Amino acid sequence: MGGVVRALLRRAVQAVLVTVLVSGLCFTLVRLLPGDQALRVAEGRYGYDRVTTASADAVRAELGLDRPAAEQFMAWVARLAQGDLGVSLVTGDRVVEEVAYQLGHTLLLSLAALSLALLAGPALGLFAGLRPGGVLDQAGMVGAAALRALPVFALGIGLMLLFGVTLGWLPVAGFHATENLVLPALALGLGLAAASARVARDATVAATSAPFFGFALLRGLTRAQAVRQHVPRNAAVPVLAYLGVNLALLVEGVVVVESLFGWPGIGHALSHAIAARDVPMLQGTALSLGLIFVALNAFTDLAILAADPRRRG
Amino acid sequence: MTPSLTIEDLRVSAGGVALVRGVSIRVAPGVPLTIVGETGSGKTLVAEAAMGTLAPELVASGRVVLGDAASEAGDRAARRHLWGRGIAMLPQEPWLALDPTMRVLPQVAQGHRFVRGLSMAEATARAREDLAALGLSGAATRFPHQLSGGMAQRVAVAAARAGGAPLLLADEPTKGLDSDLRSAVVALLRGALLAGGSLLCITHDVAVARALGGEVMVMLDGEVVEHGPAETVLTAPSHAYTRRLLAAEPEAWANDAIPGAGEELLSATSLAAERGGRRLFEALDLAVGAGEWVAVTGPSGCGKTTLGNVLLGLLRPAAGQVRRRAGLARTRYQKLYQDPVATFAPRLDLRTALAEAAALHGVPWSQLAAMLARLRVPDALLDRRPDQVSGGELQRIAIARALLADPVFLFADEPTSRLDPITQQETMAALREVSRERGLAVLLVTHDQAMARKVAGRQIALRAA
Amino acid sequence: MRGLRRIAARGHSPARLMGGTLVGLVVLMAILGPLLVEGSPTRQDLSAVLDPPSADALLGRDHLGRSVLVRLVHAARLSVSLGAATVVAAAVPGILLGLLAAWAGGWTDRVLSGLGDAVLALPGLLLVLLVVALAPGAFWPLFLGLSLAMWVEWFRVTRAASGALLASPAVEAARLLGFGPWHVLRRHVLPEMAPLFGTLAAFGFAGAVLAVGALGFIGIGLRPPTAEWGLMMVELLPHYDEAPLAMLAPALCLFALVLGLQLLAGRDPR
Repeated sequence: MGGVVRALLRRAVQAVLVTVLVSGLCFTLVRLLPGDQALRVAEGRYGYDRVTTASADAVRAELGLDRPAAEQFMAWVARLAQGDLGVSLVTGDRVVEEVAYQLGHTLLLSLAALSLALLAGPALGLFAGLRPGGVLDQAGMVGAAALRALPVFALGIGLMLLFGVTLGWLPVAGFHATENLVLPALALGLGLAAASARVARDATVAATSAPFFGFALLRGLTRAQAVRQHVPRNAAVPVLAYLGVNLALLVEGVVVVESLFGWPGIGHALSHAIAARDVPMLQGTALSLGLIFVALNAFTDLAILAADPRRRG
Repeated sequence: MTPSLTIEDLRVSAGGVALVRGVSIRVAPGVPLTIVGETGSGKTLVAEAAMGTLAPELVASGRVVLGDAASEAGDRAARRHLWGRGIAMLPQEPWLALDPTMRVLPQVAQGHRFVRGLSMAEATARAREDLAALGLSGAATRFPHQLSGGMAQRVAVAAARAGGAPLLLADEPTKGLDSDLRSAVVALLRGALLAGGSLLCITHDVAVARALGGEVMVMLDGEVVEHGPAETVLTAPSHAYTRRLLAAEPEAWANDAIPGAGEELLSATSLAAERGGRRLFEALDLAVGAGEWVAVTGPSGCGKTTLGNVLLGLLRPAAGQVRRRAGLARTRYQKLYQDPVATFAPRLDLRTALAEAAALHGVPWSQLAAMLARLRVPDALLDRRPDQVSGGELQRIAIARALLADPVFLFADEPTSRLDPITQQETMAALREVSRERGLAVLLVTHDQAMARKVAGRQIALRAA
Repeated sequence: MRGLRRIAARGHSPARLMGGTLVGLVVLMAILGPLLVEGSPTRQDLSAVLDPPSADALLGRDHLGRSVLVRLVHAARLSVSLGAATVVAAAVPGILLGLLAAWAGGWTDRVLSGLGDAVLALPGLLLVLLVVALAPGAFWPLFLGLSLAMWVEWFRVTRAASGALLASPAVEAARLLGFGPWHVLRRHVLPEMAPLFGTLAAFGFAGAVLAVGALGFIGIGLRPPTAEWGLMMVELLPHYDEAPLAMLAPALCLFALVLGLQLLAGRDPR
């Protein structure tokens, strides 16, 4: 159990780091951005043509933008600690509410992509690895190499053009029905699935050439029995470890895929917030993505601990 | 089936080179057969031919009769269905042969379940009995990494025999184990024999053959040079190679403790060391004089190597202090390692490695060349990389390298434990010659009590921590 | 058994060869392309909007009448130089700090590793995004953000690998013989790590190129009218029906470069 506590503690520290890093960077951003921030906020709220110096000053006082930097940062952190992420400069809505709405969409999309990476990829890799050099192995590995080299956005466009436009099977945009999820999830998950297929394939080859596999055969187990008894658990460990390291790719992909498909998630909002220099929104979305990343990492850690007794210690 | 194995006129070759030439063996029920030979003698190929696991690129001929099933030695598929049922194999280094992610009990139960076809519950119950019979009841729910070497060995035996095979094949069963576990392994193998089976054991260790008794066969360069009852072969050998093999056992070495210590080179007072927060030894006082041989013995994990490293200043002691003689450079205290391959840069040829060390100490190449010649290292070897040279040769090269620093003290950490017996004797002889000539003091760490007695004037026995 | 493992570990040299060829072609295109293909990547010709391939624009023209080929080779130069610069900017501090942490141990190691963990706490692209937000569309924040996100990979791999090497009997023996740090580094540490560095460089290069493309694509990397592959794709996406080649060409270039780098890199070092 010591291993579990240690893993969770490590992730808790990471969560704190994410919060400090994101809020620190966002605060710096506000100070560094050219132009009068209060004016920009006021513009966002009341429109370009109706903004006046008076309304800008009102915003300035309201947000405490006229106080010293250190004091502002303390206030910033204090608000953050209370779960107050401020108000979007663009829509004027509370960031917490917007992010809460987007979170569901992003989680749905990431979990769909993750299950692709965790089920389809490793299963294919396992079969390929059982016959190294076979037809499935060679074809599969060429396919996986190509998929891994394809940028997420190019893959997304390809899927969109093929299934959405040319074949007309699936909708390319929208987010209400299940079939809306298919293309974004594929765009996000295929690359990861290809990578995990590759790792599962190598892990399978390693497991079937490990001394314990040979010993199982020498003890009289058939190959099929030995594979079922010894390969999946041993191959799972490297696959999970690889996925853990590459969760960053998933989070990065979320930003791109959501923007491409107009999926109303956190990643989409993040790229909008950057383009519009909407710092409160930027902070809220970056923070949520960072914490999703930490949570996924924590789950992976626990899964690895469950699969590999040597790490439990 | 009757638990007997016969191999007739086995020949194995690779690319036209004969590796095994006309070997015939017969293993009868109740009488163990031990094949003794060093690395490259072909003894493992005989075991693989019996099992049907010869590598596909090898060409084999001869007949293998297992119980009442006869087949060609080269026919790898013929004995596949007998694995676990008719013939069981105890793997080398069994701790690697157990699935690291699976508990012990289900691994032993596999044989009962899949080979004998018992139900899951029944198989588990039988496996529990097997473990209890070997004194392993407490280990049933452990994972392999939680077992000691000796326990892993016993689990592997239980797992290998669970399918009910009457014939047990053990390939180097003592490899990687302390010599004090040797008798336990032998008892384990004899236990299998008592249960009504038969045993074929492959080893480089004459002591294992002696302890097992029964029949002994000695192999050299792919041929059987001597065969007979253990008492005869091991007490009155007829072949010169067998005699040399027996003479190479440390027990048979001449008593050659180098007498009289010179001036003190190194002293330690009330020394203590820890590993992972655990005390290994404490209140240890020790002084080593010039030319003296001190042996440190004890079971594995007791801190033998740690002691040497503390004396060299590579590790900090937990308490006490080490004094080296004033005025001597640190480089005059040197170390020899168990695995010499790991002590050289892997991609660098040996000549460059030695030349750089010689240049560092201002030793002319001719002087180094003379030393290498004395240690019988052929010059041509130096153009190879460390992993392309045999263990004995590389250890002698490592001795020559250590001598470049003109050492007064050498910490020799199991320097011969991975070598074949004859090579071990030769390497040790070379080291003793050098030591005598230069008045070099040696702290020898070894798990071999006999060797310690024969070579060291003084012994320090560490207890298990 | 050992034979099997050796075959598996050796890697496939045909794949390496193919990877090298692909990368070589794109790099050649980046170096020589702008010299061989005349014209400005930003010069518009509104009378030739979406023209099909012709003698003066071999890959046709885009929605503003710019030559796709000219833009393609300039984008290649941008991606290749940004990728190479990022690799250097990430590798130099990463390797040096990694060696320092492994050599010094103790507090130095703890502080440096903590710093590395802090950077890795965020997914790399998120960090790049936050830095890029300072000045969207500018080159320097992009370069800075990428280097900042990527040095950690070098640091961690170097620290782990050199730590293991420094603790090896070979290094202990060399130190006992009286060899100094420089010898240990030159003979025992760097030669063993060189293949690792090669792999890291290829992966880092691919990662940087992909990130630049992705950022351009979602409109927060480089800005129009810069010729950049990701940007070209998103600009031409609405015109795919009329000029499919104009959109596919940059995708193909990016794919070829990344695939080549991955084949060249071999196995993922992490």
